[in-house]
Amino acid sequence: MLKVLNREIKEIINTYPEVGRILEEYGIGCVPCTVGSCLLKDVVGIHNLGPQKEATLMYRIEKAIYPDRKISEPVVDMTTQSAPKKITYSPPVKKLVDEHVLIKRLLALIPSIAEYTESSLRVDKNLILSCVDFIRTYADKYHHMKEEDILFKYVDEKAEIIQVMYKDHDTGRGYVRQAVEGAEKNNKTQVKENLLAYRDLLTQHIKKEDEILYPWIDRQLSTTQVGEMFRKCNAADASVGDELPKKYEKFIIELEEKFLQEVTK
Amino acid sequence: MSGCPGSRTIDFSEKTNQEGSETGKRPSQLRQWPIQLHLVSPMAPYFQGKDILLAADCTAFAFGEFHKDYLKGKSIAIACPKLDSDQEVYVEKIKSLIDDAKINTLSVIIMQVPCCFGLAQIAKDGAEKASRKIPVKQIVVGLEGNILSEEWI
Repeated sequence: MLKVLNREIKEIINTYPEVGRILEEYGIGCVPCTVGSCLLKDVVGIHNLGPQKEATLMYRIEKAIYPDRKISEPVVDMTTQSAPKKITYSPPVKKLVDEHVLIKRLLALIPSIAEYTESSLRVDKNLILSCVDFIRTYADKYHHMKEEDILFKYVDEKAEIIQVMYKDHDTGRGYVRQAVEGAEKNNKTQVKENLLAYRDLLTQHIKKEDEILYPWIDRQLSTTQVGEMFRKCNAADASVGDELPKKYEKFIIELEEKFLQEVTK
Repeated sequence: MSGCPGSRTIDFSEKTNQEGSETGKRPSQLRQWPIQLHLVSPMAPYFQGKDILLAADCTAFAFGEFHKDYLKGKSIAIACPKLDSDQEVYVEKIKSLIDDAKINTLSVIIMQVPCCFGLAQIAKDGAEKASRKIPVKQIVVGLEGNILSEEWI
């Protein structure tokens, strides 16, 4: 079983599809992942299932891989195990979770923006470039850079889950470049498809961060590291000034007002 | 069973599963003196830029692994929000620890009894008055020495 624990999850699921189904039952969504290079042991450990659930999951996976092997059902002495801790974020990580909220408000508007683009005679270049400015400045420079320059430095950056996050950031930047090119060439389909692809990518990306990655990183941080990271994030925020988040919140409010009116017309 | 939970008589001397491990010496993790919040000065060198543990008096007696799990690597101040006088001085000292000693973090460890939450409130009030912002954590110890909760506030 030790060998299996150190194998990549995609390879295991491809060889033993039942493992994918079992993981899905436990809310571990590796099956649709396009990368799938996380090791099985990391995939299980990162989800903080608690001793009983984790032992049962590992038992079921082992049974699925070795159906003929005699494996005894796990018995976990709950009196000697601490219950899994409720997910709470440390203050610097909570700030990153809060920043996701504004990004998710833009993501929620993208289907309306795509529809508006489709039904307009020409691509509304100013609108698309304003959204791109939000994505590049607020989501990427202000938020993703704190992840890449500060948060991810506290864990092994070579860990597959971190590599997946970097890849998502790069893929997102590619969709944004394509959307800009579409706006420049007045190609409505190119704008629409890339904005929608960005929305799908970031929706899943933020969910993974809020529910899996951030709590996993938080569990590894010492109190001293939390204080240090808090200072670094505050310094990063101060370097761009208080006005930047306010400016982009105002932009989202105006965008919501515009598209809410479009919907109610 | 009535009266104030903070001073109600409870005997759990018959409690089972108290053996634990007695092997090995457990060195003190205390690295400073004094420790009482009225006696310490925020300007003391052992507070500068450090992680601080603000402990309710009873916690060190209730929680068996106090030194290893919470005091290690931190500087400490202790207080009792129920019995100590002049607690407005405490708020000012917390503010000064944050603004002047530029402490890294503040962890407040209290007992589960309601009066003990007064110490967490003192920490919050001091942190709110301070111009610097730092992460503040609250740890609650049960009467029988178990950790009931540990979270950033």
